Amino acid sequence: MSLVTSLIMRQMRAPVIILILGYSISILGMVLTPGIDDQGNPWHMSFFDAFYFVSYTATTIGFGEIPYALSNAQRTWALITIYLTVIAWFYSLGKIISLVQDPTFRQALKINQFTHQLSRIPDRFILICGFGETGHALASALTERYIHTVVIEKDIQLIQTLPLEDFKLVVPGITGDASNPEDLIRAGLQNPKCAAVIAATASDKTNLKIAVTSKLLNPEICVICRSELAEYERNMFSFGTDFVVNPFDTFANIFAMAMHSPSLHLLYDWLTGVPDTDLSNPVYIKEGHWIICGFGRFGQSLYQQLLKSNIQVTVIDPSESKREEFLNKSENHENDFIIGTGFDAHTLTVAGVGHAVGLVSGTDNDSNNLSIIMTAREINPDLFIVARHNKKTNEKLFIATQANIIMQPSEIIARKIRSLLLSPLMVAFLNKARKQDPTWANITISRIMGALGESIPNIWTLEVSPEEAKALCKTLQLGRIIRVGNLLQDPRQREQQIEAIPLLLKRNQKLLLMPTDDIAIKSEDQLLFCGTPSASRSMMWTLNDIHSLNYIMTYEETYDSSIWRKVTQFLKRKERRNRPRQNRHRIK
Amino acid sequence: MNREKVVFSFFMILALTLNYGFYAGEVDNPNHHNVYELFAVVIVNMIATVLKFGDRSQMGAMLLATSLVALVQLFSATIVWTYVVNIQGNAMTPDTMSTIISLSGGALIANFISVILLIIETSMMRH
Repeated sequence: MSLVTSLIMRQMRAPVIILILGYSISILGMVLTPGIDDQGNPWHMSFFDAFYFVSYTATTIGFGEIPYALSNAQRTWALITIYLTVIAWFYSLGKIISLVQDPTFRQALKINQFTHQLSRIPDRFILICGFGETGHALASALTERYIHTVVIEKDIQLIQTLPLEDFKLVVPGITGDASNPEDLIRAGLQNPKCAAVIAATASDKTNLKIAVTSKLLNPEICVICRSELAEYERNMFSFGTDFVVNPFDTFANIFAMAMHSPSLHLLYDWLTGVPDTDLSNPVYIKEGHWIICGFGRFGQSLYQQLLKSNIQVTVIDPSESKREEFLNKSENHENDFIIGTGFDAHTLTVAGVGHAVGLVSGTDNDSNNLSIIMTAREINPDLFIVARHNKKTNEKLFIATQANIIMQPSEIIARKIRSLLLSPLMVAFLNKARKQDPTWANITISRIMGALGESIPNIWTLEVSPEEAKALCKTLQLGRIIRVGNLLQDPRQREQQIEAIPLLLKRNQKLLLMPTDDIAIKSEDQLLFCGTPSASRSMMWTLNDIHSLNYIMTYEETYDSSIWRKVTQFLKRKERRNRPRQNRHRIK
Repeated sequence: MNREKVVFSFFMILALTLNYGFYAGEVDNPNHHNVYELFAVVIVNMIATVLKFGDRSQMGAMLLATSLVALVQLFSATIVWTYVVNIQGNAMTPDTMSTIISLSGGALIANFISVILLIIETSMMRH
């Protein structure tokens, strides 16, 4: 018996007993009370009559249909019956209604519903802890690619919005404290279908606890943590957290990438973006004097990156302690720190906004950031502006400022985790791509644009294994050679190409960027492709359907049915017999 | 002393004793079996069943099952009685009476098992 039914049953005991007692007293009284029949003889109701009478009286239906008119004694008892049973009903109904509204009961119902939804998930799922902006962005991105997700969140209001979301899959949500192991287990941590846990709450401390709990209770699982402070990051890595994502460092890295090679940054943006949205334009970051407002975690990360590029940076921050921190890190730059808020024209002018090329408004307060941007733009309209955007609700305001780069922590994290989870090969690809020269990135970009058009491509990985590529593996076992280019042929019209580009080939831990069409595929290879969704479906046909593959490779048609196989063998033999003799040797 | 246990045992044993009271006597003699007693058995059995609602233990499940068996038997007996006397309008015959009594005999066994289970449970708690 489930907890909910048992809870209902237990609560129903008293109301049901009250009802039984009310009915039985009324029925017994009705049977015992003397009445008179139509001939004036003494008469008693039978139990059947009495049950009938009490039933329609208690439910206030009141048929008034009885064999004989009631005597005064019976009427007196009928009065008692009415008050007794009607009150018993009211009491019972009230009890049931209050049970339905009881918070513990509702919680039990929710848990029941959640467990049911969890058991209906057909394959692996990813547990997201925290359904804030990051969690939301992740759930949306993962379900977009048909990966099941489960959410645990402390705030009941956020969980209540879950059914209203327009996700492609049902996302079961449960209210609970993710730092509490029991709640995590209830959310499915030890479920064999749980593939990964993402600690995406706003607090580093909670994320750390989630990581510890997950690694202890389910060591097999992949754990990804959001972290903003270096000390927590180190701690998370110390017990085997698979990935730690720091939004500020991640952004600073991307920023540096954009600065050194705009085309590489563009490639990164396309390949990690949300599929089927419009392609973004390249960002050109000018080198020259930069101003950073706000020397928090974000400001510091960017400062380090800018210093590495030998760029002159002036920092503005109102806090005295930040100044000391700054001076400790960079002793020779004491003139580059200005104490001030940044949103007044005076401080900005002192910092040299008039001749600066770029400005970072990186405080953790959105109103301050907006104000800094407005003031700075007034003084120097040509500034390149990097805006830190903290709260999702302010999105429209930041778009209106037309800042060149808008950095939103939750989006950065979601993008990074998405690529970590969806295509580990993508991370390898991007790492390798970074080491290439800018012309390489330019060529790749024009290739992608030429082949795939104007929207962000889909990314998929092909593993040459019997599970994922049945037909391909079978053919390879026969000793036949299949090349990368063959996979790009359309299984409906082999002269045509599908809209896909191979990005990376992984063979025995070796990585090959942009494999060419003539490379022969081997068993256990891993390939990363980008392309349109229909290209990905076409490729699935080639990989798994032996007929499609044979057609592409222009091998002879094979038939599944034994009769057809015999017929073709017979026809072939006949054909061979009819052929002239000298030709036969050459054919063999 | 657990008051819930007292109430519970009281209704269980009362169900058994009342059931026996109704059952005792010649099988086909309507004079030996009182309709009020049947009524009391049904009501007490119903209460005893409801008292077992929501008990998640194995013993609770067994007790609920035996009580439900007794109730089914007793309801069948009352339906037979109602059908013959009130719907067909015949007087009680020895034939009908023996059917009713044999049905209530089944309920008696179920109630008996209930009480035995109750005793087992209580004696296990002592240790």
